[in-house]
Amino acid sequence: MIEFTDLKKTYEGPVPVQALREVSLKVKRGEFIAVMGPSGAGKSTLLHLLGLLDTSTSGQIIINGIDVSKLSYYQKTAFRLKELGYVFQEYALLPELNALENVYLPSMLLGTAKKEYIEAASNLLEKVGLGERLHHLIHQLSGGEQQRVAIARSLINKPKILLADEPCANLDTQNKRIVMRLLRKLCDELNQTTIMVTHEMEEREYADRVIWLRDGIIEGEEKISQGVSS
Amino acid sequence: MFTNLRASFFLTYKAISRGNKGTLALTILVITLAFINITFISSILSGAINTAHQQAIDNYVSNIVIEPGTDDDYIEKVSSLKRSINMLPGVTSCASRYSLGSTITYDPDKDGKDIKEISWTIKSINPEEETQVTNIHNFMADGQYLDKLDRDQVILGREVSGGYGAGLEIQSLKGARVGDEITIHFSNGVTRDYTIKGIFVTKFPLSDMAVFITEKEMESVLGLHNRASEILVRLDQPGQEELYIQRLRQIGIVDEEISPWINYIGLISGITQSFELIKGIVAFIGLLVAGVTIFILIFINTVGRRKQIGILKAIGMDERIIITSYMFQALFYAVVGIGVGLAVIRFVLLPHFISHPLPFPMGMVSLLITKKELLTSIAGLILVSLIGGLIPSWRVARENIIRAIWG
Repeated sequence: MIEFTDLKKTYEGPVPVQALREVSLKVKRGEFIAVMGPSGAGKSTLLHLLGLLDTSTSGQIIINGIDVSKLSYYQKTAFRLKELGYVFQEYALLPELNALENVYLPSMLLGTAKKEYIEAASNLLEKVGLGERLHHLIHQLSGGEQQRVAIARSLINKPKILLADEPCANLDTQNKRIVMRLLRKLCDELNQTTIMVTHEMEEREYADRVIWLRDGIIEGEEKISQGVSS
Repeated sequence: MFTNLRASFFLTYKAISRGNKGTLALTILVITLAFINITFISSILSGAINTAHQQAIDNYVSNIVIEPGTDDDYIEKVSSLKRSINMLPGVTSCASRYSLGSTITYDPDKDGKDIKEISWTIKSINPEEETQVTNIHNFMADGQYLDKLDRDQVILGREVSGGYGAGLEIQSLKGARVGDEITIHFSNGVTRDYTIKGIFVTKFPLSDMAVFITEKEMESVLGLHNRASEILVRLDQPGQEELYIQRLRQIGIVDEEISPWINYIGLISGITQSFELIKGIVAFIGLLVAGVTIFILIFINTVGRRKQIGILKAIGMDERIIITSYMFQALFYAVVGIGVGLAVIRFVLLPHFISHPLPFPMGMVSLLITKKELLTSIAGLILVSLIGGLIPSWRVARENIIRAIWG
């Protein structure tokens, strides 16, 4: 499903920084991976490369059999739209759109019929527990609700891969639990591959596997026996 | 393509309908003011230019002037020449004039003291003929216009009489009035006394500097008949002077000088050229202000949303959709601003200045809005608005996603 080989990323500058040093990994379809490690370990860099937001210095990323490093700029944009879902630490919703509009925007970009994308977005918001908040503007929602809208948005185009960059970083304990359970549930229900960067130990319990990164290399892996119910 | 445009339009619509209404109103106000500024200044200057040109035609030299050839003092066989000219289709009428240098003296108190004396060119007119080529007879501020058989009567422009609001710093008779007597010492040695029959005020300086006696009187002074110093030709349609100059040549007027009216308004022509320059400068600055306003607005908007724009790109939105949505916004500001500006001009400024024209040295000036200038202003404003929207949105939308999101 996702395979990256000898992935290397060096940030050029007066003092070049090697964020990733020949990292290789295979992720199966439907697997929930938590990427953990201390600050500067290369977690976010890895997610940026997998999300096609940045280019690697060397190495290869194959997603669903496609060598994505060879895609052009606009092909990468289209790939992100169709194949990837991305959840950010800060929810990054458009303030002038309501919850429903924020969710269906990526579907609109695919050229889906209006009736279809409104229905799909409504269903997704229902699924994340915001069925009553469809027409609320973003500032009328709590942080946890906003993050759930962002998750719904990331799923609207039915991506096969969901990338989440510290999705609970700005949430309180209760909302963290809601969001993590939601991610786990969606992974199970949609057979979606999820790769989540986190530094919270308790969040690893929702994953199938934890990848430990340190100084740009995979330091270890940990299989989690699924004890957390979605 | 349609999908992208639909998404851009969607973002624009939501940004405008749910954005800050105060900012929206202020932006539209700035565009409206910029548009009114460009159009108003341009149209008032166009009005001034048009007034000057119309005055020159109506009250000074009509459309075309025929003068004697270089080696001749007068145009010969004027009667038959005028008949030929009048037969040309498109010619309304023509009228002949004599001109003769003179010295005018005016003794206001008739006591031989404080006598005003000015050197002036006296022109003669056939009063009936003249009404067909100029409108001076309609601008008698005091007294009466000349009759065909008047012999010892003269009419003066206000700049010669020196009263009636004369404003030019020239020699004048310093207050000669209707009924006063003046003495004209013609350059051929003839001296005659005349009573001022009327004073005309066209408000066109070149016209108001004229002194007219009748053709009969001038022929008596000169001892000539059937000749002229100039023939004025009035056309049905303005703007065809060059065509009719050719036609006049074709009917046999080959030795005489034939010129369009524009050649006779040297000073005014200089002013109108300056006005054209001012119009260009005002339009340029106005467009620049409008463009910079939209640029700043979109710039602040995009810089403030740098992170969001980065995220929109990260979730798969083509940067061209983002740029287009900002250009739609700029277009919206421009179109609404222009619309409001047009309404203000059409329903407020235009009616006001038509009923209250502004006094200019060349006459009363109202707004003259030509379709061409209006379309140029609209097109210019839309273009600078689009550029003002494109540059900042393009800069931000082209930014690396990682840098846009995380700085």
